[in-house]
Amino acid sequence: MVTESDTESIEVEIVPNRFLMPATAQKLLNAVYENGGIIRIMIQGPNLPRNVPYGPGRGTPIEENRDLLIEVGGQAFELCVKVGRIRLELESEKYFDGLKAACERALPFSVHIKRGKFFHTRSTITDYAKFGKVEDTRVLGLIDPKAKRDRLAVLSEERVTIDDEER
Amino acid sequence: MAYTPQFYPGSTTVGINRRKHMSGNLEKLRDIPEADVVAIMGHRAPGADYSSTHPPLKEMGEPDCPIRQIVAPTAGAAAGDRVRYSQWTDSMYFAPSIPYWRSYWGAINCKGCDPGTLSGRQIIEARERDIEAYTKKQYDSEMTDVALCSMRGCTVHGHSLRLEENGMQFDMLSRTEMGKDGNVYATKDQVGIPLDRKINLGKPMTEAEAKKRTTIFRVDGVPMCGKVGARKYDEAVDALHHMWELRSKWGFRPE
Repeated sequence: MVTESDTESIEVEIVPNRFLMPATAQKLLNAVYENGGIIRIMIQGPNLPRNVPYGPGRGTPIEENRDLLIEVGGQAFELCVKVGRIRLELESEKYFDGLKAACERALPFSVHIKRGKFFHTRSTITDYAKFGKVEDTRVLGLIDPKAKRDRLAVLSEERVTIDDEER
Repeated sequence: MAYTPQFYPGSTTVGINRRKHMSGNLEKLRDIPEADVVAIMGHRAPGADYSSTHPPLKEMGEPDCPIRQIVAPTAGAAAGDRVRYSQWTDSMYFAPSIPYWRSYWGAINCKGCDPGTLSGRQIIEARERDIEAYTKKQYDSEMTDVALCSMRGCTVHGHSLRLEENGMQFDMLSRTEMGKDGNVYATKDQVGIPLDRKINLGKPMTEAEAKKRTTIFRVDGVPMCGKVGARKYDEAVDALHHMWELRSKWGFRPE
């Protein structure tokens, strides 16, 4: 269910000037989470494959990309991407200033924080192919349409659900 | 007076660096042992024999050809080596050499090589012992900063991505790493197969140093068209416009 709110929700994009190491990503995400008001959040960045995907070394394990566990809001999950961009929807504008302060506190380098429209609102053909008829519209815009696996993490005030199911 | 080719126009630091790269008059910054370069290239084990595609030219009995008499073969061609490659990815965040300039350097200064430029990577192919020598030259010279440039035979992207927190170019295969001592270490060869030991590539350039040595025009570094508000076109832009005009209107035919 979408969190009921009497004020208009806002969408925000956080783009740090560098790609984040897992420890910094965890620090930033926790700071964002503690600020509150999150309806949904998406982490985006280049893929970190577990094995060399092609070439003469195909299949060779990449140990550096394995077990990149981070803990956000008391819930641990594994990072599949190098964190380069965070998009989130906040319940209302009153959380925006706190979010900016949280980002500045958590990151040792500059960060761009933009307000705009970042999640689509209508189900696409890919959404239909992956989920069928979407009932919880919060999942719209959270999934990479090209990914072979679902990579979804919805953080809300009530619960944290992680879905990393092999398809 | 002896003729000195100018190679590239302009008086900006980027123009000067581009001239240096094309002329091959480069500063040597480090000395990476040949065996380490061979290990990172990954085509043969250091010390192993070179594989060949034909017998040495001396044994082949070449046809009577005036061009063959004028042009001395490279060491690799004379020995009949296989053609191998080295491929580089250079970050757009002020890496000293950007893809085209590695190609210009190769085409002008390296005999018997075939450079190829792509949007974010650059490959040079040549006979094996020649490409090893050319790759060592690239590694040792100011064309390469060990944090912002790396050899990537596959999974090359990184050129246009943001840097990592420690200033390294992003590499999804983690072929290089920043050591605790501030040196950059190669841990895998150019296709991502782990090496049996870490190879110390030395310290990376500071940001200021990279900006000083770069060959990329950027609006936050040396802009090609001058600063907005006080535009003063560099000679490089005039030359580029001139070439564009000639190519567009009449085909490239400088006179």
